[in-house]
Amino acid sequence: MATARFRQRSSYINHAILIFMALTIILPLLVLAFNSIKPSSEFGANPLGFPNEIRLMNYYDAWVNGNYTQIFMNSLTLVIGTLILNLTVSGLAAFSLAILNPRGIQTIVVGLYLLVGISIPAQLFILPLFLMWKSLYLLDTRIGLVIIYSALNAPFATFLIRSYMLQLPTELFEAAKLDGASVMQLFTRVALPLSWPVFLTTALIVSLTVWNEFLFAITFIITDEYKPISSILFTFQSRFANDYGLVSAASILMAAPIAILFMFFQRRFIAGLTSGATKG
Amino acid sequence: MPKFLTSINAISWYFLFPVIFIHFFVVMFPSVLSLLLCLTDWNGFGRINYVGLENFQELFRDRVFKKAVKHNIIWTVMFLTIPVIVALIIAYLLTGIKRGQLFYRLVYFFPYILASIVNCLIWRYIFHPRHGLGGWFENQGIDFLAKSPFAMKETALYAVAWVDMWHFWGFLVIIYLTGMYQVDDSLYEAADIEGATKFQKFRYITLPMIRPIFVLSLIIIIIWSVPTFDYVYILTMGGPAYSSEVVANHLYSQAFQRMNVGYASTIGVMMFFYVGIIVGFFAILRRMGWEV
Amino acid sequence: MEEMMNKILNIFLTFILTAFFATSTFAATKVVWWMESSADTDPTVQEMMCDAFNAEQDEVELECVFKEDINDTIRPALLSGSGPDMFDTPGASYIKIYQDAGLVKSMQEYADQYGWQDKLLGWAYNSGVFDGELYSIPKNYETMIYFYNKTLFEENGWSTPNNLEEVESLAAKIKAKGMNVYAYGSAGWQPTHEHLVGNYFNTYAGPDNVYKALIGEKKWTDPEFVEAIELLRKHMVDEGYWSGDLETYYSLDWDDFNNEFATRGSAMLMIGTWGFNVTATNFGETSDDWDWNPLPILNSQAGSAPNYQLATGGTMSINAASKNADGAAKVIDWILSDKERALKVTGSLGYGAWLLPLKYTDADFDPNIDPRQKRFLTEFAEASDSGNYGYTTWTFYPNDPGVHIWKDMEVVWAGDITPLEFMEESQRLWDQARADDALVPVGKR
Repeated sequence: MATARFRQRSSYINHAILIFMALTIILPLLVLAFNSIKPSSEFGANPLGFPNEIRLMNYYDAWVNGNYTQIFMNSLTLVIGTLILNLTVSGLAAFSLAILNPRGIQTIVVGLYLLVGISIPAQLFILPLFLMWKSLYLLDTRIGLVIIYSALNAPFATFLIRSYMLQLPTELFEAAKLDGASVMQLFTRVALPLSWPVFLTTALIVSLTVWNEFLFAITFIITDEYKPISSILFTFQSRFANDYGLVSAASILMAAPIAILFMFFQRRFIAGLTSGATKG
Repeated sequence: MPKFLTSINAISWYFLFPVIFIHFFVVMFPSVLSLLLCLTDWNGFGRINYVGLENFQELFRDRVFKKAVKHNIIWTVMFLTIPVIVALIIAYLLTGIKRGQLFYRLVYFFPYILASIVNCLIWRYIFHPRHGLGGWFENQGIDFLAKSPFAMKETALYAVAWVDMWHFWGFLVIIYLTGMYQVDDSLYEAADIEGATKFQKFRYITLPMIRPIFVLSLIIIIIWSVPTFDYVYILTMGGPAYSSEVVANHLYSQAFQRMNVGYASTIGVMMFFYVGIIVGFFAILRRMGWEV
Repeated sequence: MEEMMNKILNIFLTFILTAFFATSTFAATKVVWWMESSADTDPTVQEMMCDAFNAEQDEVELECVFKEDINDTIRPALLSGSGPDMFDTPGASYIKIYQDAGLVKSMQEYADQYGWQDKLLGWAYNSGVFDGELYSIPKNYETMIYFYNKTLFEENGWSTPNNLEEVESLAAKIKAKGMNVYAYGSAGWQPTHEHLVGNYFNTYAGPDNVYKALIGEKKWTDPEFVEAIELLRKHMVDEGYWSGDLETYYSLDWDDFNNEFATRGSAMLMIGTWGFNVTATNFGETSDDWDWNPLPILNSQAGSAPNYQLATGGTMSINAASKNADGAAKVIDWILSDKERALKVTGSLGYGAWLLPLKYTDADFDPNIDPRQKRFLTEFAEASDSGNYGYTTWTFYPNDPGVHIWKDMEVVWAGDITPLEFMEESQRLWDQARADDALVPVGKR
């Protein structure tokens, strides 16, 4: 009895902590949401609260001024292209490092190489890269940006996938090898099906990075029709600096697709992880 | 086919080739090109003159650079402690909860999916002296937050770090949860039978079991702290009076505002050195038998 | 050794960086012009400049592209050779660097052919001349003044100040009323600090001394400059003249401080003449009236009459890689050759933007022009003609000292360095810029 009551009380405390931490996140987001439907005349008297008069026109203005449909498609193209290229190269590398030759010299060499690569600030190489891209006719193209994003995200993706693959039981691979599977088949038939949760996690994080990236987007895409949403929002913020309603609405439009995508994937992702844990 | 081309060692290199190729092509090669520039006084356009180690001498005279290095160290220490501790506690609490877990995860992770520019917009508004909290308190007749923490030299760095951490710690929660769910339930059950407390289970089961992913998270934090740039750039531009200037920010302003591309490359070289030391440190840890 | 390294680096880097300069994607009859974007004025410029030009002739087709952060966008574009035929820069000190690199075309032959020197105000023409040739033409000229709330001043019986003592006693009276002395803020544009520095140099140390320092006959560490900075520090930090305190000054952007001025949060607004438009618009929504004055002289060594600081706001130039430089020159000549049209454009922009430095006479002005704006245009022309002018940092400072003057001003305000240390660093950067031959032309005084 005593332990049961203790457990109950501690669970209340747990929930109180969790709710408090949740509020530190929800309240600022609510301010953004309220601002996005607030007419600009109301900001002075009511800086934080729910608007007295709801103005959905902020969204319409942001949509039309931002040419949202086109820009959404541009961003989507970049995300999908990067996912295909990045997950392929990172998945192959992680498989090699974790399964094929985990104790080999490769792990140290490539690991060090990618560790150094991950920490080079973009400002250091952006100008030479720009000139290289120009000479290769990759400048101002979406494929050019996809290659850059894939490379920038490769170290992180490789590390993450590798750290998951390290946990896979080696007996499975040994068994498959005895059945006569080639190395490529070990990857596609054994490693991939077992590690799809980590591929989902990686895909999610890479998508976020690509969707939200703006330094390279602004530098490497010159033509307006190819520009992704982040560079448009950047433009918006300097253009309509103090029209908080409009800028908030544009921000929410930017966040909405990725938020929906995230929630959709989050359920699958948790189910995969928990089933893996219970079976494991 | 010769044997050395089909050995497992060779094949494992084939699998690594695409990632090395693409990364070398996009990041390493142009970086090396840029690093050659640290021996020159190039301004981004004109003649390129070899100046030897002059830029390095300049670096040790540069008050702002020293300040920026100090801020990067503070930044790293802050990120290695506050979000890590919070995320560990929260992730552990979450594993013990059945109802509402999904909701909490979604909420904590949410700021991480927002672009830096959106997060900065939210917090700049909240801390704006005439709008946000300052304006709200003013409307209530209370003189609180009348000055923006981003504009005070005592608080600017911490205010920017606050926004970045606010956006980042939920990411750590998800990472740690991933690790914690790989811990075998039977271990906890055995500990329950022996009457272990919650803290003991955390200390003796959870922490050791998630060590690979925990160490990975620390490496990520240390390494990501080196080129940290966008939150500082968007919120304060390193100001006021360099009180929130970080190294990448200093590099950027040298390269793009003062057009000292050669000097900016020198700062890049110093970043390389620093990262090299960290990577070496972890290599030594590995040698000592840590699963990193 | 050094020479060999030099050679190797030169060959290697210049090969890579210049390998693909030659391509230009634009057709020969088309001229593409990248302009600094400003949401309020873009449609008017498009209609009255670009569309009007295309409607009047069919030899050249002009396409205006409005770019945010033109300075960051144009740099890599020029370098890669894919840039537009014509482009804007924020000021002459930027042109100097492009000229060194051969990225901007000399317009001297066009200037001679079309007689541009006779059309432009002398100082404005000279600001674009490097090594004896013309490389840029100002799109706009501006100066620093202050606006004040006339109704508020009349209600309280305040008179506009003429010297330091009057400024400080007026400031005390304004603060006693619970208002801020000046509205201003740097959140929208950090280099805003340099406006204030320039004001204190020109009204405290005086334009003669600034001129001597610019051409190297005087040191920036001389007491009059150090005292000017100390006075600015006192007014900013100790007295909180701008928006109440330093931190709030850092936090307010354009709209914030313009609204604060129009709604009696502050009594005055010390700003450039680009403030005419927004001040007139904002006061149109209130029952208050506004007016302006040149900046009061704060020290007798700065002269007896108010001076107007010279500034060019934005320049236009031709890309060295342009395939249609002749067409671009035609565009420029079209813009410069009709004073009436030029005034009409700037009139519809509120005389804050696109004020081309042409030799206007009274007859050129629209009779409906706001008398306050006309007073500025004629007084500025008279004062600058008679040699009573000062110098802004963003038109006459080379790049490095120019960035230092606003970036490190914050350090003085923070109390981390003294005004003297600040000016010593400025002098060091000036010496270096002079040694590197990176100076910007300063017309003879």
